[in-house]
Amino acid sequence: MYQIELDHLCKAYGRVQVLNDITINVETGSFVALVGPSGCGKSTLLRSIAGLDKITSGTIRIGGEVVNDRPPRERDIAMVFQSYALYPHMSVERNMTYSLRLRHRPKAEIRECLEATAQTLGLAGLLGRMPRDLSGGQRQRVAMGRAIVRKPRVFLFDEPLSNLDAALRVQMRSEIRRLHKRLEATSVYVTHDQIEAMTMADTVVVLRSGSVEQIGAPRDLYCHPANRFVAGFIGSPAMNFLKAKVTADGLSAALELADGQTLTLPEPQRPGRPIWLGLRPEHMEIGDETRQQHLQARVESVESTGSMSFIETKVAAVPLVVTQSGMPRVQEGMTVTIGINTNDIYAFDMENEVAL
Amino acid sequence: MKRYLFLVVALLLAALYLFPLYWMYATALRPGGDLFRYPPEIWPSHPHFEITRVFLTYAVGRYVWNSLVVASGTTLITMVLGTGAAYVLARSRHPMVSVTLFVILVLQVLPPSLMVTPIFVAFNQLGLLEWPRLAVVLATSAKTLPFYIILCRATFAQVPGELEQAALVDGNSRVGAFFHIMLPLARNGILVVSTLVFLQSFGEYVYSRSLIASTDLQTATVGLSTFLGANAQDWAGLMTYASIYVTPILVIFILLQRHIVSGLTAGALK
Amino acid sequence: MRFLKAWRDSDAFNLVLVVPAVGYLLAFSAFPLIYNVVMSFQQVDMFDVGTLIRPLRGFGNYVDVFARSEAGTVLWNTVLFVVMSIVFQLSIGFALALFFQLDFPGAKWLRGLFLAGWVMPALVVGAIWRWIFAGDFGVLNYALRSLHLIGGPVFWTSDPSIALWSIIIANVWLGIPFNMILLSVGLAGIPDDVYEAAALDGAGMIERFRSITLPLMAPTLGAVISLGVIFTLQQFDLVAALTQGGPAGASNIAQYWSWQMSFETYEISDGAVVATLMMTVVAAVALIYVRAIRHEQRA
Ligand SMILES: Nc1ncnc2c1ncn2[C@@H]1O[C@H](COP(=O)(O)OP(=O)(O)OP(=O)(O)O)[C@@H](O)[C@H]1O
Ligand SMILES: [Mg+2]
Repeated sequence: MYQIELDHLCKAYGRVQVLNDITINVETGSFVALVGPSGCGKSTLLRSIAGLDKITSGTIRIGGEVVNDRPPRERDIAMVFQSYALYPHMSVERNMTYSLRLRHRPKAEIRECLEATAQTLGLAGLLGRMPRDLSGGQRQRVAMGRAIVRKPRVFLFDEPLSNLDAALRVQMRSEIRRLHKRLEATSVYVTHDQIEAMTMADTVVVLRSGSVEQIGAPRDLYCHPANRFVAGFIGSPAMNFLKAKVTADGLSAALELADGQTLTLPEPQRPGRPIWLGLRPEHMEIGDETRQQHLQARVESVESTGSMSFIETKVAAVPLVVTQSGMPRVQEGMTVTIGINTNDIYAFDMENEVAL
Repeated sequence: MKRYLFLVVALLLAALYLFPLYWMYATALRPGGDLFRYPPEIWPSHPHFEITRVFLTYAVGRYVWNSLVVASGTTLITMVLGTGAAYVLARSRHPMVSVTLFVILVLQVLPPSLMVTPIFVAFNQLGLLEWPRLAVVLATSAKTLPFYIILCRATFAQVPGELEQAALVDGNSRVGAFFHIMLPLARNGILVVSTLVFLQSFGEYVYSRSLIASTDLQTATVGLSTFLGANAQDWAGLMTYASIYVTPILVIFILLQRHIVSGLTAGALK
Repeated sequence: MRFLKAWRDSDAFNLVLVVPAVGYLLAFSAFPLIYNVVMSFQQVDMFDVGTLIRPLRGFGNYVDVFARSEAGTVLWNTVLFVVMSIVFQLSIGFALALFFQLDFPGAKWLRGLFLAGWVMPALVVGAIWRWIFAGDFGVLNYALRSLHLIGGPVFWTSDPSIALWSIIIANVWLGIPFNMILLSVGLAGIPDDVYEAAALDGAGMIERFRSITLPLMAPTLGAVISLGVIFTLQQFDLVAALTQGGPAGASNIAQYWSWQMSFETYEISDGAVVATLMMTVVAAVALIYVRAIRHEQRA
């Protein structure tokens, strides 16, 4: 098992810079998720590690060796593609053993690896089938099997679950997680679904238009986002942002649009500084007078799933989403008090959006 | 009910359109004297096929053999040169790709009847006319190659790129991925397009007429046009000749009809 | 060995695959094209075919060609041949494509049968049509007389005022399948819901054709027309089989004329002049075609 080190990696298509000075260290045996909005360069980064795309500058090391100029087959990686990319003209068995056969492994060993993998993934009954005769979930499993059968140094996943239905996705999520625990292979996992990233990974890398925004454990990203982008990207529903100005005493922030309401900041700031206030929907509670601070808001709409309710409110004219468990007794048009604790208030610089 | 009315109309239209083919066979089946009778017999009353006579007087066997040689050679050269090029032009993102494609599209449309003048002079100077059938194969391949590349490129483009990349990750070289993954997956398309190239070169006329001087080496189209002359009389014989020549083409066509339709349309508009 | 290995993984593999094909095309297609232009400025005949250095004639050959008595007829015939072929191929092909768009059993299969015309060697098609056209015993004259459309026999291939039309008719027959199939693909690409929306808006059959089918088919029509022109300008075999440009040059068209000069009267430089001019036209049409399909891709 190996470590992956990306050092000042850049990639451009002609004049378009797709990856910008990316430096990431993937520890041996860890599970790293790459997240970011569509088109931010996640796939490109993964494909650069695999050797499918050539990088413009920087170095890629796998297990300490520079592999920049190595073709994919000499990098000892396995990759699971979004479309699964099962060879349509080969049976499940031949799909799974293709890489071993290419390496001219002895027949008995191939047999053994195949059986062990089929056992693990519950594919034993499907080995003779052709990919077109499999369901989506089964195909996904075969794609996984094809990757793990040869025990590579590194696993790469490019949105492997995005073609599955919701229930299957949850199931596969924990299954991949379990597999990773057992195999302890270094894994890089691309997804645009932040819930997948948060639940599966040891480390999450947030990318935005080709640059790393923040690297950290899922909990860190949630509790200590480095900037407004990460704060807004991690967490669902997304964090609310309100324009504000730090008051003269430097301790609280006046909400710019509101009728002079203020919230106290956890840390003192330079008086008069324009900032974004960040409030997570799940950190607020309607009608909770016991919390340290309060805001007055008007309820605009209530959506309830039964266990959870999403309440859209307006503070003056600024929208603010609050989630509540269960079905609270609020109605459109009501004016409510929203309680929040001081430690749950985030502040970001208005200019460069860095967390304060 | 209306659907069956449409079907009847469609059958009539198809029959009307295919009448020339029917007329070829109907004429071939009538004894020579019957032809010059008025009104003509639409349905041959005493079917009678003069294969032996036609083989003897018109040397159909030799002519068709020459066409077969030319068509096989052309198809071979076209497939060997064109398949790899079509694959690269479907996959590579190099800026030269669009330039190359443009050149190929333009070269595809040059009429052979106009190209044959410089080709004749150049081949004459190079001494290539010593091997006239080879000369025709070389000239015809230059015509079929662009057609083949463009249609095959569409076939390769339909194979998802991720399959090839999966093969690379699984441990193949580019060469291996091409032969193990791309070629087998594009095989059907390649075969259909190759068949079209074969049919085209099997019916080639201009180059054979202009570059082959010796009667012994001439192809079936040239033979037929010689016998047509200015005042052909033996229409039963000529139509028998034509039937012998085109029946294999029509059989292949009927066998591959569905694929031919999809193959053709994929290339011309995409 | 190292070299071989590097080659198998790198972009060199692309070059190894593309270069032979492109080289072949340059040698056997692009080079003749240029050589043809060169010859059109030289004096080339039977005697100096074998040499490379030939007397230069500048535009002399061009002047000669246009000064020939048959030049006017050939030019007019070529225009007429192309325009009439396209008009009929396209309208019949479009009508058939629309008809086979209807839902009835076997529609696809019957439509495919029309392609039999496309796979036939054009020379054989010419031979068959020549027999159909035959003056005294031809089946076409018989049919037209039975329908009382003509009084006496029409000498399709030997009457100077009609000979060209015999080639046009045969060429239309050859061109219908291709037009029909390509237009069918275009028609199939128009989603049903567009028609349904128009029907709900109150558009009748004819109105729907005019305001939806035609505009949405415009790029396809552009591509099909340019392809039709290109194929029509390639048509040689039908002339050879039907009239050989006769009687007395009355049905001659440019591509056949060029060939005649090169291979029958050995005025090779004059043949090259006509070929050069024609190829310019073909290249121009090809440009339109390429632009049309680009447009189509974007749409
Ligand atoms: N061959 C190419 N030429 C030019 N630009 C490209 C090419 N391939 C990708 N790009 C650009 O690179 C950027 C990153 O693409 P990439 O596929 O890595 O995004 P992604 O983060 O995986 O997005 P998604 O979540 O939609 O899969 C995109 O803006 C894309 O337009
Ligand atoms: Mg992606």
